[in-house]
Amino acid sequence: MSIAIVGTGQTAHARRRTDVSQAGLAREAVVEALQDAGLTMDDIDSVVVASGPAMFGAVNQPEKWLVDALGARFKPVVRVTSGGGTGLAGALAAVNQIKGGAARRVLVVAYDKLSEGALQASISTLYDPFWGREFAVGIMGFSAAYWRARMDRLGHTQEAAAMVAVKNRRHALANPKAHVRKEVTVEEVLASRPLCWPIKVLDVPPISDGACAVILAADEDALAITDTPAWINGMAYYSEADNGADRSMLQSEPLQIAAARVYRDAGITNPFRQFDVAELQEPYTCFELSYYEGLGLCPAGGAADLVASGETAMGGSLPVNPSGGCMGANPIGATALIRLAEAAMQVTGKAGRHQVPGASLALVQAGGGWANLRGVAVVSSEKR
Amino acid sequence: MTTMATRIQMPYTLTPGEATGVFLAELGRRRLIGSRHGDRILVPAQDFDGSTGEPAEGFVELAPAGRLEAFTVTAQGVLGLVLVDGADVPFLHRIVGFAEADLTIGARVAAVWADEPTGSVLDLAGFGPAGDGPGFKPRIAPDGLAQPFEQVEYTMTLDYQHSYGHYYGTLFDAVRTDRRLRGVKCSQCRRTLLPPRARCDVCFAPTAEWVDVEAVGVVQACSVVHIEFIGQRLKPPYVYAELVLDGTSTRLIHMVGGIDPAEARTAVAPGSRVRAVWSDRRTGSLADIDYFELIPGEPS
Ligand SMILES: [Zn+2]
Repeated sequence: MSIAIVGTGQTAHARRRTDVSQAGLAREAVVEALQDAGLTMDDIDSVVVASGPAMFGAVNQPEKWLVDALGARFKPVVRVTSGGGTGLAGALAAVNQIKGGAARRVLVVAYDKLSEGALQASISTLYDPFWGREFAVGIMGFSAAYWRARMDRLGHTQEAAAMVAVKNRRHALANPKAHVRKEVTVEEVLASRPLCWPIKVLDVPPISDGACAVILAADEDALAITDTPAWINGMAYYSEADNGADRSMLQSEPLQIAAARVYRDAGITNPFRQFDVAELQEPYTCFELSYYEGLGLCPAGGAADLVASGETAMGGSLPVNPSGGCMGANPIGATALIRLAEAAMQVTGKAGRHQVPGASLALVQAGGGWANLRGVAVVSSEKR
Repeated sequence: MTTMATRIQMPYTLTPGEATGVFLAELGRRRLIGSRHGDRILVPAQDFDGSTGEPAEGFVELAPAGRLEAFTVTAQGVLGLVLVDGADVPFLHRIVGFAEADLTIGARVAAVWADEPTGSVLDLAGFGPAGDGPGFKPRIAPDGLAQPFEQVEYTMTLDYQHSYGHYYGTLFDAVRTDRRLRGVKCSQCRRTLLPPRARCDVCFAPTAEWVDVEAVGVVQACSVVHIEFIGQRLKPPYVYAELVLDGTSTRLIHMVGGIDPAEARTAVAPGSRVRAVWSDRRTGSLADIDYFELIPGEPS
């Protein structure tokens, strides 16, 4: 069975959407995805709601609230939440529902309305209350700490990370859904205010309100809906505990395991050469550097040279984050699903001004934590 | 010690959306606003019809009176479902001013308004006893509608009692009373794990043997915290650190203090040797260590 993305939708992301409730925000993305697929809610067999910790928006079980606003009352609904990669974990749950025969057309809607709560304090509640929570700085403290360690060991310099900020913010200029559209220079990034040094303000994406929706179907069902399905040739999501023994945290083992599995399923042997485009979830600039290595786009220690080469910018041989990535918008629970939707748009030629010409094979990466939750997907115009 | 008390307190600015925003704003004007969905009327007003998902077609004012459909008596007062005259779905709210003997299903009720509106749903203090007095059918609100509230302030306060359990309990009893850190050794691979746990998460063998761990170790990774946030313990800038204590295979999250903030970026680095500075507090938590400090004469 081959499963495809047959419709995508995104809200206009913003720092603060005061015109809609959480349910209204999610609905906006769903309406666009149904329109894109030419379907109505009657055609949908099952709904997966993906969102961040309930602490973000002070609503527990928000899926109960959302289904009414979506017109999905009495349909099967589950909520999936798995750190920063929640949106991709939700898509994987939908894929498995279809593979298992429980549903034929599944809607995945992912959202977060981060303007409503206290972000870093909420994220700190992910930590063990006995071990680390009281000293945690969301994920920023330890993300910065392990970036600092990678500087020494892998050469992930502040300049290299600044190049990621420059590239992704420039890409976001061409994405109508991005809400931060402002160019920066390497010098401006390096001189920007430190938050958790070495992480500085311009290494950090915006905090956003936003939602994304994707509709999935298999084989003939997909072809009945659209002439241009975006086939998912591989998808996996792996995790490990925060406090495992013997972890240098220099490379993410869950990422390496997920990439190996998905590359095998999708027939990828030389990722840098084979992929036309990549959408990688970079909650801070330093993450994109580590993903280059974890995904095998370059050898360990090669990320700084790769970003400096310009090959991962638009016009290069493997543009990474033509949408602008998280730097354009970062509604955390939706962010990973946005990466998947953007990849689908790229391989079906629907990415508009940020289209990579002729793209047919896309790499998607998503995840949460510094290293412990990681997902990978391969999206293609060709059914495998 | 059996449990650790913690409190999570979070401030929010919630966005009610247009319909609920109008409903809340109009309560301050002592008017009850519903939303129109075909021939159905929902109050409080809703942006979307739950049975179809379609947006509301408009707003109407309802007479602030109705019929008690169900109720429950609690220690904090009476809660009831009120079917407002002209509405199709009952409204859960406080029921006030009734003698308990007069509380009956089917009783007529009318809005009781707060003396001073504060911008919350309690601007409608509740529904109290009422006669059959003249009302009006749902109508277009005269004089137009108030601008919707765009944000509502909200604070969530959650109190927890976390059980220490055998392993954390043994560790933190020793921390509190003896200033000792106690880990466990894996019966198979002999790794020392801190915090202690029942099974080794590398080889999955049981861990049986307790070992003392000296509060001395090495910085595995560190960053300099400049941002301020809710619940922060030290005033920035300070150093966030992931430490590996000597002899252990696990990480401990804490802070490195006692350094000049101006030199924080260079004074502490991966590989720096540190030791605990114990606090005067005896709480049975990692906060019993104020911070870790660099060890003079050792690598930093
Ligand atoms: Zn072991």
